[in-house]
Amino acid sequence: MTNRSINNVLSRSILTTVIITLLLSSSILHFSDAAASSSMHTNNWAVLVCTSRFWFNYRHMANTLSLYRTVKRLGIPDERIILMLADDMACNARNKYPAQVFNNENHRLNLYGDNVEVDYRGYEVTVENFLRVLTGRHENAVPRSKRLLSDEGSHILLYMTGHGGDEFLKFQDSEELQSHDLADAVKQMKEKRRFKELLIMVDTCQAATLFSQLHSPGVLAIGSSMKGENSYSHHLDSDVGVSVVDRFTFYTLAFFERLNMYDNASLSSLFSSFNPNLLLSTAYYRTDLYQEQVEKVPVTNFFGSVMKTIHTDSAYRAVSGKDRSRVKSDVSSAQSDDVDAQRMTGSDPERQVDHSDIKVVKGGGCPHADLWNAIVEKFQGVKNVDQIVNYGLVGMLTLVAVSTWQSS
Amino acid sequence: MTSTPETEAQKPKHRPIIRIGIFIIAHSFIVSVVCCTAGVLALLLLPVLAKKTYVSENALMPGSAIPMISEQDVSGANKFINELTSLKLKSQRTGIEIPRLIALHMANLGGEVSYHKFQNQPNKFHPLHFFTSTELEANHVNQTCESYATNTVGIIRAPRGDGKEAIVLVTPYNPVNFSQNEALSLGIAYSVFSLLNQVTWLAKDIIWLAADSRYGQYNSVAAWLKDYHTPSFGGFGKLHGVGCHNGNDVPESNLDMIIETEVSDTLRRAGTMAAALVIKVAKTGEAGDQDALNIYAEASNGQMPNLDLINVVSYLAVHGQGLRVQVDKLVSFLDSKWLKFIGGVLETVGNIARTLNPQWKFGIPVKEYVEGSATLVSSLYNQALGVPTGSHGAFRDYQVDAITIEISPKLFSTSKGRQTELLFRGGRLVEGVIRSVNNLLEKFHQSFFLYLLTSSNKFVSVGVYMIAFLLLVAPLPVLAASLFSDANKSNLESEKNKPFKSWRWLYPTKTVFLVHLWGAIVSLLPYFIYQIPDSQPTSRLLIWASLSLFILIVLGSFFRVRSTQWALLKSVTVSAAFIGLCLMSVINFATAEIGALLLVPMCLMIKPWRVAGKFQSALNLVLVIIGFPGATFFVVKSAFGFQNESSLVEFWYWVESLWAWNSATYIYICMVHLPCWVLCIYILLHQC
Repeated sequence: MTNRSINNVLSRSILTTVIITLLLSSSILHFSDAAASSSMHTNNWAVLVCTSRFWFNYRHMANTLSLYRTVKRLGIPDERIILMLADDMACNARNKYPAQVFNNENHRLNLYGDNVEVDYRGYEVTVENFLRVLTGRHENAVPRSKRLLSDEGSHILLYMTGHGGDEFLKFQDSEELQSHDLADAVKQMKEKRRFKELLIMVDTCQAATLFSQLHSPGVLAIGSSMKGENSYSHHLDSDVGVSVVDRFTFYTLAFFERLNMYDNASLSSLFSSFNPNLLLSTAYYRTDLYQEQVEKVPVTNFFGSVMKTIHTDSAYRAVSGKDRSRVKSDVSSAQSDDVDAQRMTGSDPERQVDHSDIKVVKGGGCPHADLWNAIVEKFQGVKNVDQIVNYGLVGMLTLVAVSTWQSS
Repeated sequence: MTSTPETEAQKPKHRPIIRIGIFIIAHSFIVSVVCCTAGVLALLLLPVLAKKTYVSENALMPGSAIPMISEQDVSGANKFINELTSLKLKSQRTGIEIPRLIALHMANLGGEVSYHKFQNQPNKFHPLHFFTSTELEANHVNQTCESYATNTVGIIRAPRGDGKEAIVLVTPYNPVNFSQNEALSLGIAYSVFSLLNQVTWLAKDIIWLAADSRYGQYNSVAAWLKDYHTPSFGGFGKLHGVGCHNGNDVPESNLDMIIETEVSDTLRRAGTMAAALVIKVAKTGEAGDQDALNIYAEASNGQMPNLDLINVVSYLAVHGQGLRVQVDKLVSFLDSKWLKFIGGVLETVGNIARTLNPQWKFGIPVKEYVEGSATLVSSLYNQALGVPTGSHGAFRDYQVDAITIEISPKLFSTSKGRQTELLFRGGRLVEGVIRSVNNLLEKFHQSFFLYLLTSSNKFVSVGVYMIAFLLLVAPLPVLAASLFSDANKSNLESEKNKPFKSWRWLYPTKTVFLVHLWGAIVSLLPYFIYQIPDSQPTSRLLIWASLSLFILIVLGSFFRVRSTQWALLKSVTVSAAFIGLCLMSVINFATAEIGALLLVPMCLMIKPWRVAGKFQSALNLVLVIIGFPGATFFVVKSAFGFQNESSLVEFWYWVESLWAWNSATYIYICMVHLPCWVLCIYILLHQC
């Protein structure tokens, strides 16, 4: 009986130690996973820049505002969009429709309606400010709303339009951003872990030349025209008296108008939607720095804010079951099967956490806290504390006895 | 140049540039012939080298907006024209009534209206005020109220503009002798004004100046511009206006009552002027099957408005309204045989070049060449004359770009439908130009200011036409240097013992200086001639000529012009001509170009008749005779078949117009051309 009980005790103690070690190791594993999750998509940002002034460049502002509207519609919130407009066409005295901006001659859609938050306007749009936004080196007084507060899990869309040339983009009427400047800023961003993936989309003449110096991984670039080509405006609004949209942007918008937040058309389908005959220029894609296959990346990765739902049923136990099924069905209905499967089964630490026995109070919290919580739970699960103490004493005695017997 | 054989022996090697210089000077004859021929050839080639015009300023965007003039605007204009014509028939005192009617309509349309009263300021020659404006304030007191002319000014404030810039529309009309075509031009301006009062896209204010041109179209605009740009402090409007207004008029109609409150007599201003358009309708109909549009651009002293303004107007007229755009051209040139011959030669050369290499495209058809040349000559002449071709010239004096557009309908008829169509066309054209200029952010600066037109859509820029002039002038310094060094060499043998031999050029320089001084005096003489009362033009001209001759003789005998070596004298004369021509090319290129054509061959060829052969002497004589300004005038007149009544009178009026318009050409003729001509005669008659 005693022998058996001793055995029992022994096995129990071994079990406990094994459990403790297991717990420790799992927590360490978890920690290392968290470190590796720099490649995890957590949020979306958009930086939309119109670099040219003057009434006859109406279309550049309309381009930018159209993109602004699109990314907002696809789910990037205003607080994560940095909108830079170098001039104010809406309030220009030459504007036949005061306080309105259109990107189509049918005038159905006023781009400058309510809820347009312009972060940098007029003469604030300079090369210096642009680089400051990208690299995050602001003066202290700059408010949070004007900063790009992205992190290592951010997908950033950088859209620029204006007048460009061979390896430069003109800002206002006096400055230019060179391809070196852009590449340098992107490199700094990479080093400071300000993005996971960056899509640079440029609609200017000779846009492709602007990407020639880029070397940072995770960068994808789309330009409206090759070296030596011009980018043309799409059509003239003879009522307003100016061209209202550029061709490249017009067809980009046409592509996105067909999509909603849950579509998962891939980036390659966006690329293939550009028809050189309609653009009157050749759209250029630079994908060599981008690790993933563009065929499998949905455009909403950049133009929207659709991320995988991280499901934690512990915090709100009562609700979770119902919610979970709904969200899951939503996601699976929205996304194509193969991509979905890959994403579900792929290296997904949080999913693993979700499946582990340890109950997580706060998803993605500190691993040590998790461990401590687990231990506490374990101990709370044990009913009879006195018994444990007794068993512990007996175990100690046995250990002493065995050790003395061994030593003698 | 002063290097002697001895020093050359010591230093056989000069720097390459000096050696090239010495080489050119040594072969001055060949250089002169080649350069002169090339210069004349380059001038003949200009129509071929002309480039197509293009709108250079991005902001202009002509024709990007559709015209918005509606039936309502045009029917209003029709009514306005009818009222004007009926007023003319009804009332004898149209001189007062028409401005009031215009003001009433301007006010009804919603513009700010004001009157601008001014007096006639006759153009007189004031040698001491040649480049400054003349003040005739003293005359105001003596003038009666009838002598005031009244400009009516309507201003539309841009609803959301900053009010710092303005676009001016000018419609000249003569209230004393009011004609239908003036009514039409007023109607066009009315329709545009009516539209612009309603639109929301104005960024610049619009000023409509209905200019009372009883004292000339130019004077009315110039007077208004002067007052517009002269700051006045309170009393100005009162001084001119109120006293006369009340004294002259009995308030008779309700018309007065309406506008009395709205129309102010103080001059109202808008911002600085971005551009101005003078709108006219031609009196005579056009023979062709299309309505035509004549563009006049030349301002005083050959200044031109920015080419972009002409481009915008001609683009909108051709592509928007289907008008045929014309620039002034010399009609008699169109039939000239030798021009056709040159055109034919150039065309065949162009064709041959194209067969050799299809990339070379410089040949143009004969017809195009002849028309281009006719336009180019007219353009050159108008610029060289330095007299503005219309009231747009007044704007150029304030650095405002302005042109006159004259619409000439195909067959002038007063039928209602035709008039409406014309109003639509003119209104849309003017609206388009205003909308385009309204888009401007800065004043015109992108395109050319220095150019010659060879057709309404082709131009020769300064970089090209300068070549012809430089080639013509280049032989002058070479010849001067060559003559000088030759004279020095021959001196060395004969007068070795004389001191200061290198200062010998001072004597001919004194002569040349005296003759130029004489030229300056001659240019001032007309002022004194005008003091002689009741003299006929012919007698004035004769007095001028005889006085000039007398002064020349007096100067010559008083300073005892020493007989010097003719080569040195010619050298200095040629240098003076070179400097004068180059200076003039900066002030007014066209004058310098034409002057060089006359002066350069004469200066190069001239030789004392004792030294030269018979043939050369005869040639020199012909050149000298043609070279005299008066003779040139008559030769050109008869060559191109201008009607001439009494030649002397005509010449007098021509010269009078030059100084009345403060043309620099007058100064050039008196102070460069005439002295050089006298010196050439002196050389020709030199006793060797």
